[in-house]
Amino acid sequence: MKKQYAFYIDAERCIGCFTCAMACKNQYHQPETVIWRQVYPIKAEIYPHRERAFYSLACNHCENPTCLNVCPVVAYSKREADGIVIHDQEKCIGCGNCIRSCPYGVPRYNPVLKKAEKCSFCWQRIDAGLKPQCVQSCPVEALQIVDLATFDKPDAVQYPPGFPKYPKLNPSVRFLVPRLPKIIGREDI
Amino acid sequence: MSNLELPLVFFTVLSQTAIGLVIISTLRQWAVDGPTGNIRGEWVTASGLIIAGMVASFFHLGHPLEGYTALKHLDKAWLSREVLGVSIFLGLTVLGMFMARDKISGPVAFGAAIVGLATILFMGMTYSPPSYPAINNVLPLVFFLMTALLLGTSFGSWFASPEKRIWLTRVLAVTLIVGLVVYLIVPCVWLSGGTVMAQTGWAWIGSPLYWARIIIGLVLPLAAVWMTRDVPAWLPTIILIGEIMGRMVFFKDTLHAAGNLGGLY
Amino acid sequence: MTESNNTLGTQVGKCPLSRRKFLKCLLAAGAVATMPCGLLRPMSSRAEEIVYEGGYEFFRNACPRNCYDTCSIKTSVKDGVIQFIEGATESTFTRGGLCVKGYGYTRRPYSPDRIKYPMVQEGRGTGNWKRVSWDEAMERISKKLLEIHDKDGTLLGLALSKYSGNFGITNYGVEGMMTSLGYTTRLTGTPCWPAGIDAQNFDMGDMWCNDPEDMVDARYIIAWGANPAWNSVHSVKYLYAARDRGAKIVVIDPILTQMAAKADEYWQVKTSADGALALGMARYILDNDLYDKDWVAANSIGFNAFAEYLKNNVTVAWAAKESGIPAESIVKVAQEFATAKPATIWIGYGLQRHVNGGATVRAIDALVAMTGNVGKTGGGARYGHLQTWGFNYHALLQKQPEGAKGVPGKAEVKGDFTFTSDDAAVDYSDRILNINKTAQVILDADDPPIRLLWVSCKNPFSQDFDRNKMLKAFEKLEMVVTVDQFFNQTVEMSDIVLPVTTLFEEWTINASYWHYWLSINEQAIEPMYEAKSNIEIAAALSKKMNELRPGSCTFPTEIDTKEWMIKEFNQGVYDLFGIKSWEDLRNGPVKAKMHPASWVDLKFKTPSGKYEFKSELAEKWGHKALPEFKAPREKYDKYRLLTPHSKFGIHSQFINLDWSEEFNPKPFVYLHPKLAAEKSIDDGDTVRVSNTYGEVIITAKLSTVVPPDAIVMYEAWFKNNPYNVQNVVDDTSSDMGAFKTGQPGVAIHDQFADVAKV
Repeated sequence: MKKQYAFYIDAERCIGCFTCAMACKNQYHQPETVIWRQVYPIKAEIYPHRERAFYSLACNHCENPTCLNVCPVVAYSKREADGIVIHDQEKCIGCGNCIRSCPYGVPRYNPVLKKAEKCSFCWQRIDAGLKPQCVQSCPVEALQIVDLATFDKPDAVQYPPGFPKYPKLNPSVRFLVPRLPKIIGREDI
Repeated sequence: MSNLELPLVFFTVLSQTAIGLVIISTLRQWAVDGPTGNIRGEWVTASGLIIAGMVASFFHLGHPLEGYTALKHLDKAWLSREVLGVSIFLGLTVLGMFMARDKISGPVAFGAAIVGLATILFMGMTYSPPSYPAINNVLPLVFFLMTALLLGTSFGSWFASPEKRIWLTRVLAVTLIVGLVVYLIVPCVWLSGGTVMAQTGWAWIGSPLYWARIIIGLVLPLAAVWMTRDVPAWLPTIILIGEIMGRMVFFKDTLHAAGNLGGLY
Repeated sequence: MTESNNTLGTQVGKCPLSRRKFLKCLLAAGAVATMPCGLLRPMSSRAEEIVYEGGYEFFRNACPRNCYDTCSIKTSVKDGVIQFIEGATESTFTRGGLCVKGYGYTRRPYSPDRIKYPMVQEGRGTGNWKRVSWDEAMERISKKLLEIHDKDGTLLGLALSKYSGNFGITNYGVEGMMTSLGYTTRLTGTPCWPAGIDAQNFDMGDMWCNDPEDMVDARYIIAWGANPAWNSVHSVKYLYAARDRGAKIVVIDPILTQMAAKADEYWQVKTSADGALALGMARYILDNDLYDKDWVAANSIGFNAFAEYLKNNVTVAWAAKESGIPAESIVKVAQEFATAKPATIWIGYGLQRHVNGGATVRAIDALVAMTGNVGKTGGGARYGHLQTWGFNYHALLQKQPEGAKGVPGKAEVKGDFTFTSDDAAVDYSDRILNINKTAQVILDADDPPIRLLWVSCKNPFSQDFDRNKMLKAFEKLEMVVTVDQFFNQTVEMSDIVLPVTTLFEEWTINASYWHYWLSINEQAIEPMYEAKSNIEIAAALSKKMNELRPGSCTFPTEIDTKEWMIKEFNQGVYDLFGIKSWEDLRNGPVKAKMHPASWVDLKFKTPSGKYEFKSELAEKWGHKALPEFKAPREKYDKYRLLTPHSKFGIHSQFINLDWSEEFNPKPFVYLHPKLAAEKSIDDGDTVRVSNTYGEVIITAKLSTVVPPDAIVMYEAWFKNNPYNVQNVVDDTSSDMGAFKTGQPGVAIHDQFADVAKV
């Protein structure tokens, strides 16, 4: 398999601190409403305690990205060497098709530049031998980058509950699902 | 709630009206006996509508002046193909408008009609991405075809010769009935789908705009056609209003998969 | 400030962080390739272009907030503008990453809401702010101070409200400024952790936690009333590492916190009953001979008395009844805790914000000590420490002007961060009042009353208690001067606001009360607009005071923050950290050369030199000598009200930033579905939380993480939002705190309220 960078989200280690989300904003200063990495709480129907388990999601750099396929101006490209999907804003005309078409809601509309934009996997940092800013910032190493060509954690999944399944896109992400502690409740109430 | 996408509402409705007009005009010219009627006026109107639609679409772009670059991805992107289709259709329709005498030349008319039909297909594909589970299927194509037929027949009545009105009325009546059935059934079918599809169903059913379009855009016209056995002159405007309302519901009340991230799908 | 700096500041301030602007000016510089924000540029990069990392100036900063983690920051600046920041990789504690609050610093100096100039408000609370020059601001304040002096003969009418808004060491210059003006009124004590400090001092003679990085060696970790997953995110990796090596993590908390969700076992204890729980465990450990007899014999006094107390007053069944935790769980965990070697307890600050907080901490300390876990790597009763704070406090230590009068006699100014003491005989002293009763003391102070309140590094309206009482108290004040960065709720009620620098705009030095690292804070950018640091403000005030009346203020009138930072260093600091000079810190933060285990030499600083299960000192201060059970506060309303910290902010800082609003736009009250059902409240309803002190109107969120008999609201300040939990919190004191910190603490979590749909 070709090298394919992916985000590995260990939702068991993740403490939902939003450090990754803010680290990205700190790096790229996106204007208001433009969020590249969002931390989504897992609803109580999946993890019974509200706002206590999260998926930190940015771009999934899919194998067969919808954004790339639907873009009328070929503003997207997928890097041969490592599978990172890059958006070239010079070409973008702000048609919004990628924004509408990505099932994970990844590309966002930048109202100042009037163009789409999304997580770039910090490809300049990658090329300089650094980790993406979000990955570096995580205080518990819950957010990591892996190469799917060599990734072999047996308890990792691609589509945990709460993350929609799109095999045709084949998003490059893997997850560990969060566990529950043993809970000793009060006997008096 | 999704984005209302008002420029796209007008772009799709107006361009589909233009395409419908051209298709119905062409069919009337060759498939139905009788005089052609005000064929010139019809193609002027179609040209005006497709241009208006295109202008509306520019309001959707962040950088409209670079809109022409949208033709670059024909090998993969349905949107590029749609832009191509609309452009060629516009060219042929304007050509037809200039060439129109008491009829339109065959190649031009059929060319425009077929390109128009293909464009509706491209639109159908463009507006059914995997991110909207309820419409990630043939439904957008069906909705767009119905828009074209409803508005092509009803506006066509303004230009058709009296001899051809009966045919026109029949096609309109059938389309109205089919439309009513489709638009009433589809949201109900969605209710038994996955989470986001069902949410879309509930959103449509709970939307006053949806019911308004059913009544104003389908029931009322059907009643009018039934009672008068003809297409009253005021009817196309009412149907247009209905289609615009319906397209608004299509954009605003169709929910995006990402809205449910973190929840069960 | 030079004109060009002003222009840059104004430019950036007007449209801060517009990437278009960056791209423009960098294109001009021909350096667009080097910006990470320039990622969105043409794909065709020339091979020789450096795509990332080029042309930056790097600076070392430290987060000066009241936070365990006190992160070491590496700041990247270009063209005099902060481009982005990262955690310093040299610190194993910070390890390259900050937190959701810290990363907001990139925005903070350039926030459009930032206070730019000294401003005067015509009518408190009206919002009629008028810009004035620094000269005029200082003149107004100076004239008022001189008026006070002439009226009262002292400056006791000047009071200082300051606490932990900025822990940069040079900021103690604010207290220095007060001293340099004369004898003034000081609000001493601490709202934060005083009961626990006293408790640890009674037990061990000092508050001294292990190096948090040694938690990896623990075999058993109890996070008791502590939520590191929200409040010390950098510590969590050590708990995880311990677990990877087989340790068990237990969290005890009334709320199922984020840390509880990550524990192996979570106990939903009844609020304020933790003392009983600890004593129950101690009783079991005692009965089953699971305590470390040798350690206790060699290193403690009073254990037999403690054992007697347990035998006569404590049973596991009783502890279960008091705390709500089933007896079999108490037994199991007591067994596990006592037999794991080493075991440690992280004692949280929320745990001791109760009328019995100090007693609770003493009981937990006892649990750790009797099992022989004090003085062991990976063990310990972890609370906090101040071992690495041995600076000169040059900024703090000023002299009163000649002939200054105050309160006759000598009063000792105590505080949690007071490291200096003056043994010399003095004729006069400051007037010492309780910071935890700020509103009440302002109302009560007389002869003279408090006329001018100087607020710095504090936000009384957001952080002090009983907001309605605070409003009344402020009516008594003749002038309120607040030094701050944003128009928060205290600034709204001030007469004059002075714009203060952020961490990037001053030189200072930062230590932590948790980890053992030291960070320098370099000035990375020119102060924006007309912001001044606290000591520069002091200098400006001194200049004006001396202009109007020579000799009225001894604070130096010309200062350089870098020089003053350097003056804080001494050989003791250099030796402790193994550095030759402060310049070494410019290469990155440095860790103290200390043994990871506090009390490893078992030489306690108590009167007996041993761990004191029985403390006469405690008795002298009005408490029980033994760590006995103290009853919780009686309910004064239907449900318990808890107002802990939010993960998105440090008190009233950060949450107001527009970047922060994207992820955390509004406050909520959390109610258990059972409670909500009792009150016919649905998720998303607007409700009123109210008690005898006031009310809060807020949106409800239903969640099982809160107990069914409690209302939970997170204390925070949201921009343009009157939300303030202090409306329903009173200023009842906690049991301990007066011994070491000068005043008793405050029972912040012993509040009660009712809730109803609006």
